[in-house]
Amino acid sequence: MSKGTRFVTIAIPAVVAYLLMLINVLPVPFVSAETADQILPVIPWWLLVAFGAFSLTSLGLGLLRFHDTPEAYESLLAEIAQAKNELRDQGVEVD
Amino acid sequence: MSGHTIIDMPAAMSTESDKYSVILPTYNERKNLPVITWLLAKTFEANGLAWEIIVVDDASPDGTQEVARQLAKIYGDDKVVGITVHLNRSLDGKAGWGCARVPATWYGVSASLGTSILKPRAGKLGLGTAYVHGLNFVTGNFVIIMDADFSHHPKFIPELIKQQKLHNLDIVTGTRYASTPSPTPNPRGSVGLGPGGVYGWDLKRKLVSRGANFLADTVLMPGISDLTGSFRLYRTPVIKDIISRCTSKGYVFQMEIVVRARSLGYTVGEVPITFVDRIYGESKLSGNEIVGYAKGVVNLWWNVE
Repeated sequence: MSKGTRFVTIAIPAVVAYLLMLINVLPVPFVSAETADQILPVIPWWLLVAFGAFSLTSLGLGLLRFHDTPEAYESLLAEIAQAKNELRDQGVEVD
Repeated sequence: MSGHTIIDMPAAMSTESDKYSVILPTYNERKNLPVITWLLAKTFEANGLAWEIIVVDDASPDGTQEVARQLAKIYGDDKVVGITVHLNRSLDGKAGWGCARVPATWYGVSASLGTSILKPRAGKLGLGTAYVHGLNFVTGNFVIIMDADFSHHPKFIPELIKQQKLHNLDIVTGTRYASTPSPTPNPRGSVGLGPGGVYGWDLKRKLVSRGANFLADTVLMPGISDLTGSFRLYRTPVIKDIISRCTSKGYVFQMEIVVRARSLGYTVGEVPITFVDRIYGESKLSGNEIVGYAKGVVNLWWNVE
């Protein structure tokens, strides 16, 4: 099963169960009916905001931790110059 | 070349019969090819590794093939092998690595002195067909695929090899995003040349790159940090197996290899690398490519087991 089909096989029952609880067909376990009525309508928004916050945090941290490597560039230029000199001596066309 | 690539080498590396074949896909790399070859040769010789370079040239008009022939004379035609592939670039618009299953009968092959001319008759082929052809000429039990434009430095090859040996991996990929190799442990920092990174990218380019990897990471959960990198070490049978199943192109192709590797049960590790963006020439990421990338991620998410 691919990641996509696995996601769908979990997501569809979850959404159906959520909707049934929302319209009071299914009882909500562990919490009182009153609390459930208050929590259930905002769960989708909560998920959306939580995922958005996670995404932005991941991206932000990723950007912050992105290393710049100017020293790799400098040493590469030096090596290229050295390579060209040696290759020229061996009769290879380099400019 | 920094000294510690040599010092830290396990003694076993120089005595084993492993051979490393580098596939270098080229298009108009006349200037770069001799230098990258020189760097590769230096790295392999310094570490006592058996090696060869397969130059897969996409019928460059700039004389890349002539340069490949010169290099074959200097280093030996068992070391530098030139292949010319005529890919129909105009159909593709822009070049992108990809793989396609191509019937062997599509090609007329005329080989002489280590240089073969392969001509595809027609068809919309990804440039990464280069890999498929290159693999036919590989004699090593390991394959290294990298760019010929200096964005990937050969000095990291011994590190990829060390990590492969340490954990007996099937694939080791270079990562621009991680600071340490994976999997761990790596006793006393024995693998890697410091944290990965990039030279020559502005904030926007970094954001796009980060975003692309975040999307793929979240959706596909591949377990490595740099999915779209193309500097990798493979066991030869492993890359042949995976590439025969691949269907996509461009950045997605690099990703597909890792995703399929995972689903086939191959082991994948990472070593930090520094990526110096094209010194000569330009690399751009267009809006179309971003959309294509997102589609590719979803496609892999839905189709790869």
